[in-house]
Amino acid sequence: MLLRKRGTVESMLAIALIVAILASITSVVNSVNSQAETMGKLLNVGETFLILSNNSTSITDSKVDTELASLIRNITNTKYVLTQKVFTASLITNSNCSTVLVRGVDTQAFLEARNAQIDGVSANDTQANVGEILARLVSINKGGMVTIAVDNKKVTVEVAGIVQTFAQSDTELIVTMNVANLLTEDNNKVSFIEFAVKDSEMAEIDSLRRLLPTDVKIVKTQQTQAFIQDINNQTLSFLSLWSIAVYATVTIASYVVATHLTQESSYELTMLKALGAKSALPFRLILSFTVVIALLGSVLGLAIGLSGAQIISTAIRWTWIKIQIAPALEIQQTAQIILFTLTSSVFGSIYPSLKAVRKTYAELSL
Amino acid sequence: MRLISFNYLQRQRLLILTLVLMLASVLFSITAFGFLGFYKTSNAYLGEREDIIAIYNTGSTTPFTGFIPLQLTTRIENISGVLASSPEITAPALIRGKSVFFRGVIPEEFSKLNPLTMLNGETLKLKDARSTVVGKRLAGTLNLAVGNKVLVLGALAERYLELKIKGIYESSSSLDDEAIVPLYVGQWLRGTNYETISIIRAKIDKSKWTPTLLYEAIAQKAEAPQSEGKTKPSPIEEIIPIPNIAINPENLDVKETQKFMKTYLDRYGMTQETLLILATAVFIFASATIFSASHTLIHQHEHETEVLRSLGASTKTLKLDLIFKVLPWSIAASLIGVLIAEAALLAMESSGVQALSHTIHFQPDPLLITLNILLVSAIVVLGIMRSTKKLKSQ
Repeated sequence: MLLRKRGTVESMLAIALIVAILASITSVVNSVNSQAETMGKLLNVGETFLILSNNSTSITDSKVDTELASLIRNITNTKYVLTQKVFTASLITNSNCSTVLVRGVDTQAFLEARNAQIDGVSANDTQANVGEILARLVSINKGGMVTIAVDNKKVTVEVAGIVQTFAQSDTELIVTMNVANLLTEDNNKVSFIEFAVKDSEMAEIDSLRRLLPTDVKIVKTQQTQAFIQDINNQTLSFLSLWSIAVYATVTIASYVVATHLTQESSYELTMLKALGAKSALPFRLILSFTVVIALLGSVLGLAIGLSGAQIISTAIRWTWIKIQIAPALEIQQTAQIILFTLTSSVFGSIYPSLKAVRKTYAELSL
Repeated sequence: MRLISFNYLQRQRLLILTLVLMLASVLFSITAFGFLGFYKTSNAYLGEREDIIAIYNTGSTTPFTGFIPLQLTTRIENISGVLASSPEITAPALIRGKSVFFRGVIPEEFSKLNPLTMLNGETLKLKDARSTVVGKRLAGTLNLAVGNKVLVLGALAERYLELKIKGIYESSSSLDDEAIVPLYVGQWLRGTNYETISIIRAKIDKSKWTPTLLYEAIAQKAEAPQSEGKTKPSPIEEIIPIPNIAINPENLDVKETQKFMKTYLDRYGMTQETLLILATAVFIFASATIFSASHTLIHQHEHETEVLRSLGASTKTLKLDLIFKVLPWSIAASLIGVLIAEAALLAMESSGVQALSHTIHFQPDPLLITLNILLVSAIVVLGIMRSTKKLKSQ
């Protein structure tokens, strides 16, 4: 009866158009985000992982058990496993003394893993490799002697080679683990373990994670996916906040719809009261009318929004060939839009419904 | 018949229409200010001054993914009228699970174009291989303090490094959301060798150079290998080797920084006009509610208007009077809507809502406010005209 009222289509359209705005913009954002994620997957996303202590915020803070390296070596497709001890030390040369970062590691394996260019050879237990930038900064040459000091401990080593890795090790002193152990305490611990796997299958990494003690964590060194995910979340956060304004508009639109209905259905509501209907009946009628309008409006809005976005994106594709937008909504987003529209609608129609119920028989006009 | 002093519209009912108008205005303003805020923030990313130009690779799909040779810097810094030149590389990375853009620069050159106010700690030097200075907003978001060590994980390259926070700066620009590192650290994170950078920004003497003229001068210098007998190596050459090679100028272009950013935004159809059209479309979609609310208001006052008509008021008089009475409310509603939207956007800005890891700066635009008032008024007038037409036909 109520759905036959004049203005029903208009009311539905009012809500549908608001929902269409949300649906179209969300679908376009989804498309852009999904393209970014696909690009992230296409990129070489890395195969190197670090095992660090759980409470550490950086490399030099971390301390992990050396024995953990044997667990990783059991992984079938391991490319390399490198235990590394990184610490700050004083570097004393003939001309100056400076604070540098020292990396204790299997030097040959490390330089191979880094595809390093080396002017000289990899260091043995009486030698050190010097990163190219560090060598330039402190004027160190191949074949020179340098002293590394940590507190009271000192080791003098020969510079076996100047290395270029295009990484932080270009500013470091690279020594063997034996040299590093001479300078530091607790030789059963290293700063971290770096390992690479041939095909970085997450299932294998997950099973390794289960084998490791709880005080360590596995960190992937290349974080393309996490970076893109964070960027996408920023857009979605803005969209979520923006959608509050959309749902507020749906609430007030539903208020208008319900008010309009009580005005137009004044005769029917009066008749119902005159026939002895309880006050809950008109309340339910108005509320259910608004909910039906909102439900139909949200479904229609989703259809308008999605098809509109598809049409516009196709037109854009014809105009700018480079832009490929495929607007789409996820099922949970569709359900969320419908649910939030209904909730906003119910919220907006409660007051007019209650107002209509509270009116006495005498107040209602025939 | 004059109706102007006759207040037959109930204030409560009028307030509902005002509320509808206000919400439509809020929706339009948030959309328009939000989009334009992103557009303007992106445009101003590399600076808004007309005397700062960018030398970049025309083949790149984004402003920061192109590569140009670092050696170009040493060739243009000696051009008379080029007051300062800053080679830069942008590298996306992750710190404490958050996406961060690192800018690899030569700090001494960079500060000539972007002076930074240090709020805490010390300024960065080219030799600070294990240090970074971070913008105040980034420091706030990640809870970073001077002296903290952070593990930086590369997004585009398989790189990890430990950096110490040497200082926290304020620049009153997008830089406040970024971290600055020496050029070679940026190159590590970007996964390039020491010969490539993303762009060179240069400050030019506008009386001597235009971007086009400078391009021609750079093209001449680029094609020929650098002349021998250079007296003193630049600071970066003391740290990293820069090979002396011939550069192909065909892949290069020179533009004012703002135009450079605009070129890329335009390429993806993100112009000021398209964003305005999109915001207006949002408003028009929401305007069905305004029509409905206007119609309800007229319907609610049917009894009053019928009395007035029976007293001799013509439909035209009624129509004009209704418009005259409702318009001030609609203007007030749109202004309140703008204020609410601005407050909401400022709250979003201060709560750290970002796009591409940079805070969007929302600024009220007089043009948008005028457009908002005009759109709201136009829809209200149309709504009243349409509803009074129905009254007439009844």
